[in-house]
Amino acid sequence: MAAVNRDNEEEVKTDDGSPKIKPRPIVRLGIFLIAHSPVFSVVFSAAGVLALLLLPLLAKNTYISENALMPGSARSMLSNRDVSDGSKLVKDIKNFRLNHEGQGVEVQKLIGKYMSDMGAEVSYQKFHPEGNQFHPLHFFSGPDSYTLLENVSCASYGVNVAGIIRAPRGDGKESIVLVTPYDFINGGDYEDLSLGIVSSLFSLLSRVTWLSKDIIWLVADSRYGDYRPVAAWLTEYHSPSFKVSDLLKCDEQNTADNFRRAGTMAAALVLKVDGRSEKFEDTLSIYAEASNGQMPNLDLINVVNYLAVHRQGFYVKVEKVVSLLSSSWLKIFGEIFEAVGKLAHMLNPDWNFGIPAADYLEGSATLASSLYSQALGIPTGPHGAFRDYQVDAITLKVSPRFPPDSKTRQHDFFLRGARLLEGTIRSVNNLLEKFHQSFFLYMLTSPSKFISVGVYMIAFALLVAPLPMVAASLYIDGCKSLTNSTDNPTENFKSWKWLDAAKQVFTLHLFGFIVTLLPYFICQVPGQHSPTNRSIMWGTTSSSLLLITFVTMPGCSPFSSRLHGTNWAILKSVTISAAFIGLCLMSIINFATAEIGALLLVPTCLMAQPIKPALRSRRLKSLLGAFCSIVLLTIGFPVMFFAISKGLLGEGLVGLSLGGEFWTWLESLWAWKSATYLYIGMVHLPCWLLCLCILFHPS
Amino acid sequence: MAEEETYMFWIWAMASTIFRLFLIFFFPENINLSSRPELSTPLTSLRRLAEGYWLKQASLSPYAESMFHGSPLLLSILGPLTIQRIEGKSSHHLCSLVFVIADILSALLLRATGQKLQKAFRLNLKRLGLLTSLHDRGILPCGDIAALVYLWNPFTILSCVGSSTSPIENLAVIVSLYGAVTRRVPLAAFGLIMAIHLSLYSATLAIPLIFLLGYGLDAPPIKKFLQTRHAGVETTGSTSDVSKQDKLTQTTQLFSWRTVLHFVFWVLVWSSCVLVLCSLSLKQYGGLEEMFKRTNGFILRIEDLSPNIGVFWYFFAEVFDFSRNYLLIVFNLYILLTGIPPLAFRLKHRPCFLAFAYLAFSSILKSYPSVGDAALYLSLRALFVNELTDMEHSCFIFCGYIGFSLLSPVMHNIWIWRGTGNANFYFGNAMGYACFQFMFVEKSVNAMLNHDQALKKATAEMFKNSAITAIF
Repeated sequence: MAAVNRDNEEEVKTDDGSPKIKPRPIVRLGIFLIAHSPVFSVVFSAAGVLALLLLPLLAKNTYISENALMPGSARSMLSNRDVSDGSKLVKDIKNFRLNHEGQGVEVQKLIGKYMSDMGAEVSYQKFHPEGNQFHPLHFFSGPDSYTLLENVSCASYGVNVAGIIRAPRGDGKESIVLVTPYDFINGGDYEDLSLGIVSSLFSLLSRVTWLSKDIIWLVADSRYGDYRPVAAWLTEYHSPSFKVSDLLKCDEQNTADNFRRAGTMAAALVLKVDGRSEKFEDTLSIYAEASNGQMPNLDLINVVNYLAVHRQGFYVKVEKVVSLLSSSWLKIFGEIFEAVGKLAHMLNPDWNFGIPAADYLEGSATLASSLYSQALGIPTGPHGAFRDYQVDAITLKVSPRFPPDSKTRQHDFFLRGARLLEGTIRSVNNLLEKFHQSFFLYMLTSPSKFISVGVYMIAFALLVAPLPMVAASLYIDGCKSLTNSTDNPTENFKSWKWLDAAKQVFTLHLFGFIVTLLPYFICQVPGQHSPTNRSIMWGTTSSSLLLITFVTMPGCSPFSSRLHGTNWAILKSVTISAAFIGLCLMSIINFATAEIGALLLVPTCLMAQPIKPALRSRRLKSLLGAFCSIVLLTIGFPVMFFAISKGLLGEGLVGLSLGGEFWTWLESLWAWKSATYLYIGMVHLPCWLLCLCILFHPS
Repeated sequence: MAEEETYMFWIWAMASTIFRLFLIFFFPENINLSSRPELSTPLTSLRRLAEGYWLKQASLSPYAESMFHGSPLLLSILGPLTIQRIEGKSSHHLCSLVFVIADILSALLLRATGQKLQKAFRLNLKRLGLLTSLHDRGILPCGDIAALVYLWNPFTILSCVGSSTSPIENLAVIVSLYGAVTRRVPLAAFGLIMAIHLSLYSATLAIPLIFLLGYGLDAPPIKKFLQTRHAGVETTGSTSDVSKQDKLTQTTQLFSWRTVLHFVFWVLVWSSCVLVLCSLSLKQYGGLEEMFKRTNGFILRIEDLSPNIGVFWYFFAEVFDFSRNYLLIVFNLYILLTGIPPLAFRLKHRPCFLAFAYLAFSSILKSYPSVGDAALYLSLRALFVNELTDMEHSCFIFCGYIGFSLLSPVMHNIWIWRGTGNANFYFGNAMGYACFQFMFVEKSVNAMLNHDQALKKATAEMFKNSAITAIF
């Protein structure tokens, strides 16, 4: 699209002097689009936003794409005996806890003993909870090996317990992982229930003959969060470090040699039990978003959803933004779409795209949550650690409808939970290859509805389509005005006029890059500093850097005299090109970030124009344009946008504490290796600054 | 003014060196640049070279197990450096220092070449009578520009820091060009032989070098101009013009066979030297035959199908075995026949530019290209800033280069680490990159031909004017 447009733009220019050849239709279309770029950019942007709003309507029902999975086709073999095994473990742990207050290691041993009694190979792994590390470019490298800290204290370390059942029909090259995060020191009653479910299942799986993939049950020590222990275990599993860790000396218990492995992982299920369900039924929430908006294969979610709904009678849900459910404007949209759908159905009974307004609201709220958690790039649970090794994993959070101490209901609950897991494992067990059949790039609007990449990309493509068009038309304008203004014969650089503007764009992107890396150095500053202090340090260093840039390179500054300044049309054209490249790159890395970023950046870039001529002319239209661009630029500043979005989410924030909040938020982004942080620093911030330069351009 | 410019040049050159050293010693280790397919190919990877050196130390053939495919001379020079460590640092640092030196040398030679070309450009304009004082100031110092483009090109910096041997290959090519431009025939021959020895595709450079030595530096096609001038001279018959024309005919000397024969002689001398040295170093391991099979044969037969930024690996991973040989012949002939003769006919009056066109063309259609090749031809392109001021689509092509070179690691990541993409993604990126390279070469050649046209038109017009004034 961009190529065609740009080609044509040059075509017009060269055709001026030489005898005119009639251009091809596609070229003429391009010229037409460029000539009317203001109209088309408004149309395309509006269409992009509309397409985003339409997405819940376009969601398709999920289906199981891989035939080999055959979920629910086999009768469940889980018996009451297995469930009573699970109940016994829970009871034992509770008793043990009552007797021995705060002795975590002993609980691990108890669980380990249970596992080995069932015939599993048990191994313990010690790990050290890592601190927040700043590696912003981590995205481009693979999962690195677990960095051993030099002087670790024995005071804080966790111990994972893993049991492996060898499959009677397997060759030990493939495995399925079950994870139960469990806090050994102060785990609550609900956490015990998750152990109960998995141990019931484990007891069954140690006896069955149909198993062809080994089963690993990992009881992750969740004292230091759910994610860290799983990530540490996975690193040890995939890339063992051959240095002797200091942790081994901390305890007499030798954990070094007995780390067990079971081949590549086909899938992983993380089970958590927490809270009481508000619904009448037991609730199952599915969390799937891993780091940088990566999702597990849709088939895995489909299998779980199918079994949970149609076999075990759970109420399945995925996360949604609750505040959107009551938003009136979205409701109006839903009603309009419903009415249009009904009208279309009346006109032609085959057109069935309308959905009820309530469904639309639900779908949009879920979609918004899906977009938000993908855009943040922070995994929504321990399953995120698996995705780094290309293992499909989801977290299942079950909320029972009974209080945790109700013995009578517990048995039934274990039975159903374990049957759900059994069915899922049986399906995955059938697979001969990795999950590949279904989608990896999708967004959920409900547990059984999804939007695939082919559909949601349309919204983004429409949104960014004006950028190359406007860039081309501005480029032509800029060239024309330059040739008119300079009659200097030495000015023979017909086609290299953009170099000055490119220099400015490059300088500001470099500035953005440095600002992105600054937190690394600020974190190295000795002493304890509050996030607010750190954010002030960051702000002052960045703004002084910006000032230095403007002083040393007069061409870059918006406040320089007219002599130094470049033509603003060409500057805007190059800025828009840079924004276009950045957004397209980001859409491949993390679509959701690019979509939200485009919603902010595209109008800002398109509206940006010098404010001085607008004020001078005093015409309503240009004043309105200037006002719009100022408003957009104010919203587009990352801190401002952060504050606004936080305010919308219902947390009032004012003053300096905002800086601290922003710093903490960014810290979470880079600690989770989110590419969104890079996007904000290296695409959004420079483009925003460039728009500011254009706004104050002395033309 | 000029002094200040040289001053600035040295400052920027120093800055680039410091920047390289900084990157070499402080680049985060976990972003392993030396394993990136864009930077190191099976031919240029330093890791493979280290492996080859280990094999040789263990009294095995360095070419065993299809790990190493480079030159045995480079192995003897760089090999010992790969196992030496500066304390606390990993072993590739010494080699990286060698690459930094190679880059600086290349830049200096490029600068000298550029100064020669700039002089020739001014002289030609003066001969044609187009050089006014205004114009004179507009001539850019293309040597400085080319050298800085070479030093600050991210591609060059990355391939220097990323432990690939392409800086040395580029140095050989630039040495040969420099030798030919300054008419140091033995140096030119040495550079050519080393370049061919390091990477086979540089053999195409022989044609521009012969033109350069035979016809002299880049100049507008004077013969064409003479024809238009003859027409003018006949009508006016003024004596001053006749003398001017004589001067012109003197400058368009014929092809100087002596220099070329001299060049051929030195090529033979250097190639025999290289062959003898290679056979000495590979005496126990199969000798020269093994070397040719493992280096040049490896290049031509496209044996390694690991992904790179070229367009062949994907294709040859997909073809049926029985048609493989046929397609190999077709593709190699395609490079040989479609690229080389037409350009040679069209651009024989501009041998340096021809060298640029060949290098760019071969870096697109190479079997194992890397961004180091792109760095070389981009900086050679900067030697012609004066001629190519009117290149079309320059902004668009520039954006395309940036976009595709940033997209490449992303596509690789999506395919290899995340598993959500597949080989098509990376190959699509490679195709797009190749398209932009093609467009760049095409637009450059077009701009050069247009430049010649414009010169011709300008001289013809000037003559018409002078003829008219002579009549009245």
